[in-house]
Amino acid sequence: MGAMSKKLLTKTLRVYLFFSVIVLFISAPLFYLLADKLFIDDADETLLLRKKEFAVYHQPFLKVNDIWVWNKFNRDVKIEANLFKIKRDSIFYSSYLDTLANENEPYRVLLSPVSIEGKPFVLAAQINLVESEDMIRGIAVLFVLILIILLAGLYFITRMLSKRLWEPFYFTLGQVESFELDKNTKTQFIPTDVEEFSRLNQSVSKLFEKNSRVYKSQKEFIENASHELQTPLALFRAKLDALAQQLPFTEEIGKTLSVLNDAVTRLTRINKNLLLLSKIENDHYSDTDQFSINGLLEKQVAFLMEQADETDVAVRLIANEPLPVQANAALLEIAISNLLLNALRHNRRGGNITIACEEQTLKIANTSNAAALDTTKLFQRFANTQSTGGNGLGLAIVKKVADMHGWRLEYKFDGEMHIFLIIF
Amino acid sequence: MKVLLVEDGKQLAESIVEYLMHEGYHCEVAATMDAALEKVELHEYDSILLDITLPDGNGLTVLERLKASGKMEGVIIISAKDSLEDRIKGLNLGADDYLSKPFHLSELGARVAALIRRKNFKGGNKITFNELVVDVQAKLVSINGQPLSITRKEYDLLLYLLANKGRIISKNAIAEHLSGDMADMLDNHSFVYAHIKNLKRKLSENGCRDYIKTIYGFGYQWEL
Repeated sequence: MGAMSKKLLTKTLRVYLFFSVIVLFISAPLFYLLADKLFIDDADETLLLRKKEFAVYHQPFLKVNDIWVWNKFNRDVKIEANLFKIKRDSIFYSSYLDTLANENEPYRVLLSPVSIEGKPFVLAAQINLVESEDMIRGIAVLFVLILIILLAGLYFITRMLSKRLWEPFYFTLGQVESFELDKNTKTQFIPTDVEEFSRLNQSVSKLFEKNSRVYKSQKEFIENASHELQTPLALFRAKLDALAQQLPFTEEIGKTLSVLNDAVTRLTRINKNLLLLSKIENDHYSDTDQFSINGLLEKQVAFLMEQADETDVAVRLIANEPLPVQANAALLEIAISNLLLNALRHNRRGGNITIACEEQTLKIANTSNAAALDTTKLFQRFANTQSTGGNGLGLAIVKKVADMHGWRLEYKFDGEMHIFLIIF
Repeated sequence: MKVLLVEDGKQLAESIVEYLMHEGYHCEVAATMDAALEKVELHEYDSILLDITLPDGNGLTVLERLKASGKMEGVIIISAKDSLEDRIKGLNLGADDYLSKPFHLSELGARVAALIRRKNFKGGNKITFNELVVDVQAKLVSINGQPLSITRKEYDLLLYLLANKGRIISKNAIAEHLSGDMADMLDNHSFVYAHIKNLKRKLSENGCRDYIKTIYGFGYQWEL
């Protein structure tokens, strides 16, 4: 994958090309050798035929004195004195300088002992051969041409295949790439008669459906489970309240009941927040209005100030300009409330909280004894319940609300202040 | 005062009935939608506590029937389905209040008390407890005829304690009552304590007896 990855077709094409080139390179010299052999064989046959012709048509009538005439009028067949005492036929290569072209011309030469008027002579027949350089050049040109045709052919065939044959595959690939589990869209594929693609489409389709189904039932499960928990929780709480009325109160009982009450309160909040998260996921809060965030902020900051009094935390709201937002009012209120209460809960005695509206950004900054938070886990459910006493869902809800509205939620730590930003 | 409780959870219904009886209400229970419809046909109630999820139908049907017959008792919806749509739908159908489960009995007690006050006296009524008088409409408190300067939160707290007088109320219930939707704080008992302390001080400084009793780290009680 990555930068090294190539299309399958390009890879196949490369292999084809590599193979073709190798075949061509090996076959070119073979072709040359074969052509050369055929040519020589043919030349040798012709030479032997000439010898036969001479033996049948000329030898019986030729006089020793006429040999010079014969030699004069026959360019390629000559009769010479048997200087080397040749006993039998011999065929060999030779080359002569062509004075006109000024280059060495290759020849095939037959020397055959003949007797004319009882005297031994040699019949020398020769055939001009094609220059091997010329032949190699010709073959090379031919093979390059074949290579070019092959290349172009393969390229166009590949393109055509990629366009037509592979189209369903690339379409399916696109569908897989753009598939999002939480967007419940029906997937469609290009019908294809290629077996592999058809199987692929069916499998992908099945996979999508199954995943969506599991995801949906998972979402519904959380919502249903939360609903089901409400009833026993309600009973638990009511019975606890009723019990408090009946008991002869002692300090021990008071403490125990108080712990139980805190536990059921905590349980109730976790449950409510889980339900809220799952409702956001199930689009229960999809309708939005256009309004200014300022009124909402003032109301919540007033409550925050009251709470902050206890620990001498100074709360400052800087909102000079109205900040208009397009949002679901209930969700925005919950999100802001969660951020504000976090800013207070994690604060230190005598610290401060600054809430500022700037352009399209809501900034909530607070002092704390805590070091910079781990941003990888910050917005996950139940990521940091140990240290804080929160229910571990507050920031997950804020994130979900931001995602749903398409806002950016950011966290940074400047060495002193923990800063949360919602960029609308 | 007659209250009809429409609730299919038997145990929960028992607790609610017991709590309300103690407050002096006459309480009847309907566990199904049919039983509820029958009861509202036959009787008049000062208040109806209506669960939405019933074994044989939706509680909102009862609300629709009530509206159609023009018998608009004070209806408080008590639902485990804390859904925005149901809340809006219920309130649009004429319900007076919406309380999502799980709730504190003291919260329910305060809501019922407020509702019945509004219905019976058209809002112009006073709560009197010995030397203490609360004018609910004007939101004024006076002790022996002398007006008392009190914050909004302290006023809410006082009303809450009075609505549950004689009962032991947990800190959690008070915290939730005072902070409403922003109640997502676990360490807010000190904020309840601060409000109680201020209220007690103001009451005693102005000649009111100390009725607010602290119950061993659990909560508070307005002593009778």
